[in-house]
Amino acid sequence: MKIKYSIFDRFRIPAYDKSSQMQTGDLIFDPEKCNGCGTCVQICPGGCLLTETTTKVDILSGKAKGGKYGVPHVVQMKKGATLCIACFDCGTACPRGAISIKHNFNPGYHFKRLTQTSDMRYPKRG
Amino acid sequence: MNVKEGKLEEMSPLYAYEEGMPWNPVEKIIMERRSIRGFRSDPLPDAMIERILEAGRFAPSAGNMQPWRFIVVKSREMLAEMEKDAVKVIKFFMFFMDYTKGNFLRRIVAKIYAKIFIRFLPNELQPVPFGLMSQIAQGQTPVFHNAPTLLLLVEDRRGVSCPPMDIGICGQNIVLAAHSLGAGSCWIGLIKVLMYLPKWRKKFGIKYPYRLEVCIALGWQKPKADGMVPRETQIVEWYDKGLNDAPQMKKQGE
Ligand SMILES: Cc1cc2nc3c(=O)[nH]c(=O)nc-3n(C[C@H](O)[C@H](O)[C@H](O)COP(=O)(O)O)c2cc1C
Ligand code: SF4
Ligand code: SF4
Repeated sequence: MKIKYSIFDRFRIPAYDKSSQMQTGDLIFDPEKCNGCGTCVQICPGGCLLTETTTKVDILSGKAKGGKYGVPHVVQMKKGATLCIACFDCGTACPRGAISIKHNFNPGYHFKRLTQTSDMRYPKRG
Repeated sequence: MNVKEGKLEEMSPLYAYEEGMPWNPVEKIIMERRSIRGFRSDPLPDAMIERILEAGRFAPSAGNMQPWRFIVVKSREMLAEMEKDAVKVIKFFMFFMDYTKGNFLRRIVAKIYAKIFIRFLPNELQPVPFGLMSQIAQGQTPVFHNAPTLLLLVEDRRGVSCPPMDIGICGQNIVLAAHSLGAGSCWIGLIKVLMYLPKWRKKFGIKYPYRLEVCIALGWQKPKADGMVPRETQIVEWYDKGLNDAPQMKKQGE
């Protein structure tokens, strides 16, 4: 297999917050299906989901109450990258099936993934 | 794609294979296991934790050396203290290194030496743990996910060949057994940061030949979050012709 990993890649550390040097995960939330329950916000490993009215710590600490928090979104840093690793743990926890992945996580240069493709598939029964 | 209570799908029997057949119970647990980061506050019963540990005790290991030592932490006081101290250490490191947050000047200066640190510790400071630690330092997410039990997998460095591999295999046995019994688990590598504090090294007896790099959070899932997810397909090389023939490239998962 032709592995594309140059000396340049090897020695260049990407800027972690720049979407031009790192592809980070991104999600689509279906506002028709989402009821704003906040489950996905609570479950995300890095707390990288927010709604207009609540955050992960608000939900964990019990500060947020009511379970109507609005449709979540993935937080973007100043230079465009997100902290989403496309694990889809939020998607399995969502009771409404309202989340889908827009694209996967693939850090740049030194850390770039080499034999994984960006097509994401569910387990296949061969 | 969610395993909700009471929903029993058809499953294939164990020890049989037919093309395209439904998942058997073992495969189902493997495919639907998710890292669980929301737990009920009551821990699993001790007998259940002991049963789950049996799956670890019977894991394969190089030379049958079983280079592991298990520590179960259920004490609420201790769990709270571990969380507090881990956050403290992470805040300390991120104070110097996190160039993704703060004002313009900070972002420029910190980036210069952060990149040098990243070169020396590329695994510890890879973008994913870096981002996670940044969020923890900002108080956006906890380290141990408020789990009621932590299972520490201590490695005996004198194992055969590559003892961290044995720890991984042992831990995954534990994780799969836990999910098959209806519990939830999450691997937590960030426990490593506690090893910068002599207090915790002493408490858990982590000195040569021992090393602590990972633990498993255990408890009842709240919310239930096991279920299948999509993952990247892989290009797999199949050498199935002659010695000098090029391999077939197959896309795994498509
Ligand atoms: C060795 C190891 C260390 C991990 N450390 C952490 C951790 O410190 N914190 C965390 O939230 N998840 C941790 N995870 C969980 C991974 O983030 C998770 O397995 C990955 O995102 C895939 O999601 P899944 O387990 O739901 O399939 C760790 C996993 C492994 C195997
Ligand atoms: S895919 Fe994973 S990292 Fe991304 S928002 Fe969902 S839970 Fe968080
Ligand atoms: S878990 Fe689903 S329904 Fe609830 S807030 Fe998230 S996307 Fe909306």
